[in-house]
Amino acid sequence: MEKELDLNMLVIENISPLHFDHKLGFFGDYENKDNILKLSEVKELSIFQIAKFKKSSVDINEVSLNNLKLPTKSLTVISDNIARILWVGPDTYLIVSKDKNLNKDIHKIFNDDDFAITDISHSRAVIEISGSKSKEVLKKGSPLNFNDDMFKPNNCANTTYNGINIIIDFISEKPDCFNLYALRSFGGSFYHSITDSCLEYGYEAI
Amino acid sequence: MLEIKCPYCGKRSQNEFSYGGDATVKRPTLGEEISTEDWDNFVYFRDNPRGKHTELWHHVSGCRQWFKASRDTATHEIFDTCKMNEAFNE
Repeated sequence: MEKELDLNMLVIENISPLHFDHKLGFFGDYENKDNILKLSEVKELSIFQIAKFKKSSVDINEVSLNNLKLPTKSLTVISDNIARILWVGPDTYLIVSKDKNLNKDIHKIFNDDDFAITDISHSRAVIEISGSKSKEVLKKGSPLNFNDDMFKPNNCANTTYNGINIIIDFISEKPDCFNLYALRSFGGSFYHSITDSCLEYGYEAI
Repeated sequence: MLEIKCPYCGKRSQNEFSYGGDATVKRPTLGEEISTEDWDNFVYFRDNPRGKHTELWHHVSGCRQWFKASRDTATHEIFDTCKMNEAFNE
């Protein structure tokens, strides 16, 4: 006889993608050094992928999310204190925010007939890396051109890191700060790739 | 490392891209009577030229867009790239 599942008995625990990988503390060659790299997991983000349908006649320049226009130039990010909108492809954007009510705003602004809206909040592992050696760490695994005149704050790029597809979001400089997005299932592997590259400079996992 | 210019993202490393085959092959028109030989030619048979070749490439680890590239198959020199609905500048 089959037992009925009692939903009240289920305890759903929200486990972050790097829950089993991200250990706090100091690692690598950190002794007698100032301003070592800082590494953290960015949790509880709302991440939405917005893709405009080819048949849609909506003008992207006319669309804005809480006064934030969509980036029309490739590889750029438009941001304010609440959200960052990343250009990830032609007519394709990633909206990232800590605001849990973003879902409602997005569905109000982006019509289902014109845009494909996908909530990918739980399918990405996000690492924040900051410090003067951040670019050196990224250069070790990614073929992207990180020269100052090519990749600046509020630029983003889809690229690879040791063969793992990632999105790099250049948040700010001096010291350089990047958000790195990888698929959740690659999160552990990506995290260890990054931390291995950090060991030479020493890092603090916070 | 070879660099390929994606029409959307600019110059990127070759390992972000995936080769997509000959860009000059046209699928037989749907609804028309097609001989087995024509289907064979479309599905299986490709020229293997030495020199300039028009190809499809996919920026698979980048913007995920397909585009056309004009490349020398002997020297690997890439002469030009363009969007699918555009023509080469050369």
